[in-house]
Amino acid sequence: MVVLAGVLFAVVAGLLPASPAASADRLVIYSGRKEKAIKPVVEAFTKQTGIQVDLKVGKTSGLANEIRMEKARPRGDLYISTESGIVEILTKEGLLEPYQSAATKAVPEDFRSAAGTWTGISGRARIILYNKNLVPEKEVPKSIFELTNPKWKGRLAIAGTRERTTLAWATALVAVKGETFARDYLKGLHANDLKILTDNTEVWQGVGRGEFAIGLTNSPNYYLARQNNLPVGVVYPDQDAGGFGTPVNPNVVAVIKGAANPEAARKLIDFLLSPEGQRVLVTQDYEISLIADVNSSEVPPLQSIKRTAVTAQRLADLEEETLKLLTSLNPNW
Amino acid sequence: MTQAGPLTLTPSTPLAPASGWLAQIGAFLLLVGVGLLVLPPLLSLAAAALKAGELGAVTIGSLVGLAATTLSLATLATTWAMLLALPLAWLVVRTDLPFRTLCRWLAVIPLAIPSYIGAMSYIALLGPVGSVNTWLSTLIGAPQQWANIYGFWGGVFVLGLFTYPFIFLLVSAALEATNPSVEETARSLGESPLGVFRRVTLPMLRPSILAGGLLAFLYALSDFGSPSLLRVQVFTTAIYHQLNTRFDQAAASLLSLVLVLITIAVLGGQQMLLHRRSYVTITGTARLARPLHLGRWRWPAALLAGAVLGLSVFVPLGVLLAQTGSVGHFLEVVREQGDYIKNSLMVAGLAATLAVILGLLIAFTARHTPPRIDALQSGTIQIGYAIPGTVLGLSLILLYNTYVPWVYGTAGVLVVAYLIRFLTQSVQGVDAALAGINPHLEEAARSLAASPWRVLRRILAPLVRPTLFAVWALVFISAMKELDATLLLRPAGFDTLPVRVYVHTVEAEYTRAAVMALLLIAFTALPWMVVTRLREKKLV
Repeated sequence: MVVLAGVLFAVVAGLLPASPAASADRLVIYSGRKEKAIKPVVEAFTKQTGIQVDLKVGKTSGLANEIRMEKARPRGDLYISTESGIVEILTKEGLLEPYQSAATKAVPEDFRSAAGTWTGISGRARIILYNKNLVPEKEVPKSIFELTNPKWKGRLAIAGTRERTTLAWATALVAVKGETFARDYLKGLHANDLKILTDNTEVWQGVGRGEFAIGLTNSPNYYLARQNNLPVGVVYPDQDAGGFGTPVNPNVVAVIKGAANPEAARKLIDFLLSPEGQRVLVTQDYEISLIADVNSSEVPPLQSIKRTAVTAQRLADLEEETLKLLTSLNPNW
Repeated sequence: MTQAGPLTLTPSTPLAPASGWLAQIGAFLLLVGVGLLVLPPLLSLAAAALKAGELGAVTIGSLVGLAATTLSLATLATTWAMLLALPLAWLVVRTDLPFRTLCRWLAVIPLAIPSYIGAMSYIALLGPVGSVNTWLSTLIGAPQQWANIYGFWGGVFVLGLFTYPFIFLLVSAALEATNPSVEETARSLGESPLGVFRRVTLPMLRPSILAGGLLAFLYALSDFGSPSLLRVQVFTTAIYHQLNTRFDQAAASLLSLVLVLITIAVLGGQQMLLHRRSYVTITGTARLARPLHLGRWRWPAALLAGAVLGLSVFVPLGVLLAQTGSVGHFLEVVREQGDYIKNSLMVAGLAATLAVILGLLIAFTARHTPPRIDALQSGTIQIGYAIPGTVLGLSLILLYNTYVPWVYGTAGVLVVAYLIRFLTQSVQGVDAALAGINPHLEEAARSLAASPWRVLRRILAPLVRPTLFAVWALVFISAMKELDATLLLRPAGFDTLPVRVYVHTVEAEYTRAAVMALLLIAFTALPWMVVTRLREKKLV
C-alpha cells in the first residue's frame, strides 16, 4: 500500500507540469489534414510570427464532433478540414466565426464560403487510379461512366463514405446528373461488384498491389502510390467539352467561434494563403494550389482541370439524401 | 515453502456488515465517488439516445443483424481465447514445461499488442495481396487467393489471439493461489491428471475463468479497431458511421445504448453462473505445487505452447520488425518520440494505480454490503467497459468541459476515461481473488478487534498480492493502448503512443508507424517483465 501511494504521488507530481496549460498566447489548431502536410507550414508560421502552436491532428469528422461538443467552452482556435461539406454543416450550427483574409479574393468562388466562414487552402481532384500491369494503355477508361461496362466486373474499388471525399463525389453526381441517373449509375457499379473499402489508403494500396485494376480516389494518392514504387497510372476523368468533369475537393480552414485566440488564428489563415504558405502546404502532399500564381511542378494546375460545377452549399444540402441513396443500394457505404 | 494446514472446502457465506461508523461512512463515500465517476456518462448517453425519438436511420432489421454478428463474433472469439489460454495456463503453472518462466512472461505480451496493430500485421501477412498469397503464388506459379483474413472468421481469429491473455493472467494467478494439496489428494486417490483437472482444478478456477472470459468477451464486444480493419460490420463500426459520416449523435447513442443493454444481459448471466457454487480454501498460505512431470508429453506440450505464442507474439512482432527498415532509422524515430513515451507512461501508470486502489477498496467493501447494492455497483462499473471509446470520449467532452473545465483541459481527463473503461478489470480480478479467501479468516481477525482497514491491509491485501500486481498490469496495459477515447480527449499537444501509431498509419508512413507500435509494445510489456522478475526473486 505504501509503495502504491509512493508511486501514485510520483506520477501525479510528474503529470501536473506536463499537461499543457490553456494559455491565450498559444494557437490551438484542430487539423484533419495530415500532420506530415500541416506541420511544416505551422513551423514556418511560428518562425515568421513567433506564435507558438499546439497541434491536434485527427480525422476531420472526429474533430468536427469535438468542436460541436465543446460549444459551451471552445478549446480550439482554428479548424482545418479536408472537405467543405463539413464546414457548411458547422456554419449552419453557428460554430464558426466569419473571416475574410485579404487573399481570399484570389480563391475561386466555389472554394470559399458564401457566409465568409471558411476558405479553401488547397485542392484534391477525384481521379481514376489504375494498375498499369492489369490495364493495358489502350483500355484505360477516360470516364467514370465507362466503369459500368461488364469488362470491369470484380476489378473496381472505392473508399466508403467514411472518407468524406467519397460522399462529396457521390453528392456531386446527384447534384449535377439527378438522383435517377445517379442511382442507375451506382447500381451499374454494384452490378460490377464494386468493392467498398475502409479508406483511400486501402484503395491506392489495393490498386498498386494488384488486388484491384481500378480505384476511384483522390489525386494525391496517385503520387503517394508512385512514391511507394507501385505500378499505377492516373486519369482525370470526363474532361471532354460538355462532360461531367471531375469534382475538386478543397481542404479548408476556418476560425472557431468563441476561440480564445482569434487574432493568431486569423494570422495563420493569412499565412496559409500567402505565396510562401501555399508553396510549403501544396508541395508537401502533391495538392493543387487554388491560387493561380502558386503552382507545384508535377501536379496539373487548377485551370487545366475541368471541374464538376457544383457549390459547397448545394453539396451540403444534398448530403443526407445521397447517403440514404447509397446505403439503400449497399449497407457497406 | 510453508506446509499447508488442514483443509476443507466450504461454500462461502456473506459476511456480516462492517461494524463501526467510520467504516460505514468510508464505504458510503466510496459508493458515491464511484457513482459520480461512472454514472454521468451513462446517463448522458441514455438522454442522447432518447432524443433520437424515432429510430432515424437505424432500422429494427439492421439492429437485429448487427446484434447477431456482434454477439457471435464476441462469443466465438472468447471460445477461441479460452482454448488458447486454459491449456497454456495449466502447463505453465503446474507442469515441468520447458521454458515455463519465459512462456509465462511471453503469454501476456499479446495484451500489449493493440488488436488494431494485430489486425494490421495479419492483413499484411494473410490479406488478399499479403505475403502468404504472394509467396504461394510464386512458389506454385498460379496466382490465386489462398488465404483471405478479411471478414467474420478473420475477426474471430484475431480477437481471440489478442484477448486470451485476459483469461491466462487471471487463471494462472488463481492456479498459483489455490492450494495444490487438494489436487495432490485427488491424485493420490487415483484420479488421472485429466480427471484432477476436470473435477478438482476446474471448479476451483471457475471464478477466474469466468472473470477472464468476461473481460475477453466485453473487449470483443466494444472493440472498434480490428473489426473495422477486417471489414466486419458490428455495433462499434455502425456507431462510427453514424457519428462520423452522418453526424447523428442521437442515432449513435441509441446504438451504444443497445450495446450497453446487451452488456447488462451478459453481466447478469455471468453473475448467475458465478454465484451458483463457489469454493474457498481455508488457509491463507498457498504453497507452490510440485510440478507435474509431463514425461514424454513434455515436448509436444512445448510445441503447443510455442504455437500459441508464435501466432500471438512472434508473428505480429516479426511483421512489425520487417516494416521498420534500418536500425539507424529506428533510432532516429525513437529519439523524436521521447515526450510521447513519457505521456503514455504517466497517464497509464496513474490510471492503473488508482484502479488497483479503488478496485481493492470496492471489492473489499462489496464483501460487506448487501448483495443487491454490490451487484448494482459492480454492474455499473462493468458497463463503463462496454461503452465504445468514441462515444465515451464525446460524452466526457460535453460533461467535463461544461462542469469541470479545469480537468478537461488537462491530461487528467484521460485518466478519468481510462478509469471508467478499465476499472472493472481491477474490480473483477480482485473480487475473484478475494472470493477464494475464506471469510472465517477475516472474521477471526475481526473478533480480535482488528479494524476493517487493518484487516484489509494486513490480511487480505497481502493474500491477494499476486492478483494486485496482475490487475495493475492489466489496467496499465489497457490504458497504454487505448486509442478511441484518447484521440478525442487528449489536450492539444499531448499525444500518446497509440495516437502516434494512428497518425502515422493514417498518413501511410508505415515504417514510422511500425517503430511507434514496437515502442508501444515494449513500454507496455516492460512493467510486466519487471513484476515477473521481482516475483521470481520473491521480492513482492
